[in-house]
Amino acid sequence: MKKIISLILVGLIIIGITSLTGCQKDAVYEKFTDYSFDYFDTVTTIIGYEKSKQDFDKNCDKIKGLLDEYHKLYTIYNRYDGINNLCLINSVKDSEHSELKVDQKIIDMLNFAKEMYELSDGKLNIAMGCVLSIWHNYRQDGISSPINAKLPPYESLIKANEHTDINNLIIDEKSGTVYISDPQMKLDVGAVAKGYAVEKIAEYMKQNGMDGYLLNVGGNVRAVGNRRDGKKWTIGIENPDTDDTEKTYIEYLEINDMSLVTSGSYQRFYTVDGKNYHHIIDPETLMPSDRYLSISVLCESSAYADALSTALFSMELEDGHKLIESLKDVEAMWVITNGQQIYSSKFKDYCTKE
Amino acid sequence: MLKSDGLKKVKNDLILVGVICTLSLVGFLIFKLTMKDGNRVSVSINGEEKYSYSITDNVETDIITGNNGENNNTLVIKDRKAYIKSATCPDKICVGHRPISKDGETIVCLPHKIVVSITEGK
Repeated sequence: MKKIISLILVGLIIIGITSLTGCQKDAVYEKFTDYSFDYFDTVTTIIGYEKSKQDFDKNCDKIKGLLDEYHKLYTIYNRYDGINNLCLINSVKDSEHSELKVDQKIIDMLNFAKEMYELSDGKLNIAMGCVLSIWHNYRQDGISSPINAKLPPYESLIKANEHTDINNLIIDEKSGTVYISDPQMKLDVGAVAKGYAVEKIAEYMKQNGMDGYLLNVGGNVRAVGNRRDGKKWTIGIENPDTDDTEKTYIEYLEINDMSLVTSGSYQRFYTVDGKNYHHIIDPETLMPSDRYLSISVLCESSAYADALSTALFSMELEDGHKLIESLKDVEAMWVITNGQQIYSSKFKDYCTKE
Repeated sequence: MLKSDGLKKVKNDLILVGVICTLSLVGFLIFKLTMKDGNRVSVSINGEEKYSYSITDNVETDIITGNNGENNNTLVIKDRKAYIKSATCPDKICVGHRPISKDGETIVCLPHKIVVSITEGK
C-alpha cells in the first residue's frame, strides 16, 4: 500500500515537473504588441508571438509597410504625390481626363465592392459618397459643438441620393482604368476598404510564414494562421449597452485563422435633441438604421466580415439571417435594440465562457 | 494493533496525497486567474510606450499630448482597474469606456492617439 502511495506521489511530482517544463517551452515565444495611428483613420494593433523583439519588429515593419500602401491607395480624404488614389478618382471633374489609370489593388477592391453590392441587394453601396459626406459633416460639427448639433436637411439627402448609382462606376480591367460617368457621384469605400486591405495583408503574411499574429485595425480583427504557443485567441465582443456598467463583454469567442468584425451604433454617433444618430446609413431611408445596437460577423475573410457587418445593419433581421445562412462558413450575431442577442446557426460553436 | 497502525499510516498518506492534489489544483486555479487579470497598466502615445504603472497603484494623472501640450486625458487607476476620468478630446469615447483590468484590454483615445492597455507584466 505504502509503495503504491509513494508511486502516486512520484507520479504527481513527475506531472509537476513536466508541466513546469511545458511552461518553459511556451516561454520561448514571447508576446509582443504594437500600436499605430497612421492607417485608415483608426488605431491598428499588431500582436505576435516571437522569440525576440527584433523578429517581431521586422515583421511589424513589413505589415505596416503594406498598411501604409493600402491606406494611401484607398483613402478618400487625402491625396499623395504620384499616387492615383480614391481621393483623386473622386476629385476628377473634367470629363476628358476622367479615365484614370490606377493600381490593380484599387481595381480589385472596387470589383469586390461591386460584388458585395450584388450580394447585399444594394444595402452596401460604395457609390453613396455624396449622401455619406453630408452625414459625415453634420456628425463632425455636432460632435465638436453639441449645442449646435443638427440633422442634415432631408431634401439635401434626397438630392445627393440622385448620384449614387453604382453602375456609373466603370472599371476597365484591360487598360487598368477607372471612370465615374456621373460627374457628381462620389465613392465612399469606408465599409469595404479596410477589411479588404487587412485580408490581402493576411494573405501576404501567411505566404511569408508570419503565423500566429493578430491584426486589429479599428475593430476589424484578423487572426492570421495558428498561434505559436498552440492556443487560440480569445476575443470579447463588447456590450453595446453602454449604460450597463457591470457587463463589459456579451460574448467571448475562441478563434484561429479567422476574422471577426463588429459594426456598432454605440460608438460613432452624435446627439440631436436627445436622440443618437450613428454612422451607418441605410441606403433606402438615407437615415441611420435603428434596428440594431451591434452586429458581429465571423468568417475567414476579413473583407467579407467587414462588408457584411455593415450591410446587415441596413437589412431586416429576417433577410440578414437568410443571407448569412446562405453563405458557407459565415456566422453572425445581431444585438437588437432591446439588447436581445440573435445568433446564426453555428455562431455559438465559437463561443466560450471566458 | 499492528494492522490498525498500518491503516493509520495509510490514512495519513492518503490525506497527504489529498492535500498535495488540492494544493496543486488551487495553485493551478490561481495561475489561471492571474493569467486573466493583468498586472500592469501601460500608456502609449502615438505607438510609443510612455508610462507604465502597477494595477495595484492608486493613480490619478494627466496624460498631456499635442504639439503644445493642449490635450489632456486624466487616467485613474483604483481598485485594480484603470479608466479615463475626463478628457479634452471631442468625441469622449475614451471617457465613456468601462474600466479595464484584464490582460489584453485597452482604452483608446483616437483623437489624442493614446492607448491605455492592460498587460500581464511581472
